[in-house]
Amino acid sequence: MQKNSLKTWGVIVSYLLKIIMIILLGISIWTFHVVWIFGTLLAIFVSFIPTILKRNYQITLPLVLEILIIIALMLHVGGGLLGAYSIPYYDSLTHFVSSFLVAFLAFVIIYILDEYWDGLMMDKYAMAFMVVVTTIAMGVIWEYNEWITDILFGTSEQWGYTDTLKDLFIDTIAGIIMAIIGVSLIKKGRFDEITDDLGRQIDEKIIKKRMKKQDE
Amino acid sequence: MNKINIFCRKKCFSFSILLRVVMIISLILAIWKKDWVWVIGTFIGIFISFLPSILKQDIKITLPWLLDFLIAVVLILHVGGRLLDYYYTIPYYQLVTRFFISILVAFIALAIIYILDEHWDGLKMDKYAMAFLTVIFTMAVGVFLEFIKWFNLSGYYFIGAVTEAAKNNVLMMNLSADTIAGLIIAIIGVNLIKTGKFDKMTDDFSDQVDRLVIDRLEKKK
Repeated sequence: MQKNSLKTWGVIVSYLLKIIMIILLGISIWTFHVVWIFGTLLAIFVSFIPTILKRNYQITLPLVLEILIIIALMLHVGGGLLGAYSIPYYDSLTHFVSSFLVAFLAFVIIYILDEYWDGLMMDKYAMAFMVVVTTIAMGVIWEYNEWITDILFGTSEQWGYTDTLKDLFIDTIAGIIMAIIGVSLIKKGRFDEITDDLGRQIDEKIIKKRMKKQDE
Repeated sequence: MNKINIFCRKKCFSFSILLRVVMIISLILAIWKKDWVWVIGTFIGIFISFLPSILKQDIKITLPWLLDFLIAVVLILHVGGRLLDYYYTIPYYQLVTRFFISILVAFIALAIIYILDEHWDGLKMDKYAMAFLTVIFTMAVGVFLEFIKWFNLSGYYFIGAVTEAAKNNVLMMNLSADTIAGLIIAIIGVNLIKTGKFDKMTDDFSDQVDRLVIDRLEKKK
């Protein structure tokens, strides 16, 4: 009963966030911010990807992941369109949400591989460690992306030494928080519930097929 | 093949001893220059580089010879950089040192993952997953090294640049060196695992860690 009510609330939150995104699209058209019209349209498309995946490919992403994706997109679009990046710590907040999303995704993938793939079997604490390390490494790759963009196109994606390290620090914190939450969810058996559908679908569509190919 | 291995092992071992001799000379130089901070630094360096041999005698631990060798290389580069000011006078000396530190970190990471995979029930990994973890672990350790500099935890702040943009450039170059080192060790490691050489390299150490640490912890559980 409690599980169903949580799911219902999750779906309501997801729809509310999508409505906010559509409102942001309306604002961008009203103010004729051409860049953000495209930006918002792209964000709306990305936020509907979980629905498309479910309807057309029978892949069910965890609802938490769906909500995190929409929040991260909404914060970014809202920040750019409404000038919220000038608010103190807003940039840190968006960075934290994105890193937390990456950490959650990493945990989901590692957990599913641990459950269904013979090539990986991990203790929950080893998983937590790998999530932290993956989140930091993804943060570094993101910084490479900004650094190379700045070199090639003369942009100012990276604001300097302190800002880069601050971003990496936020990635680390997000990874650690997700690792603690993840271990706690695994202990209670909740992480299994969250990833159950996606795990089975990935197993059927990818892992088993690959293993058959390897056997052949 | 075995002859080559024995030859290499002997050569590298003697090179490792040679490097330690150079480090002792560095210590004498530090005392002569009355650079007391670096006297302590070099002394710690020598102690760490002799640690594998000390461990071997006292608790019967045999570190892989490559690890022994890498520890010596890293320490000599670092001591040279600080004592002889090579960090400031030789272009990219700091980057080369950082690269070797990361090679050492990556090798330690791969060896630990491999040993845990072999002896611990809590970790079973495909060799490519091991390689992936080695790369991301090396990158993460690199970030921690940068945090130490950022918070000035070492009490020593070497950046080699003044402006924010230039400092950022040095930071990104360092992180690139970590990633490249991780990738190199991961590629070599997978190859060595495939041919069974990594197993030979870590065999003694692996059994000793299993007996001294993993078995004891599992018994306690």
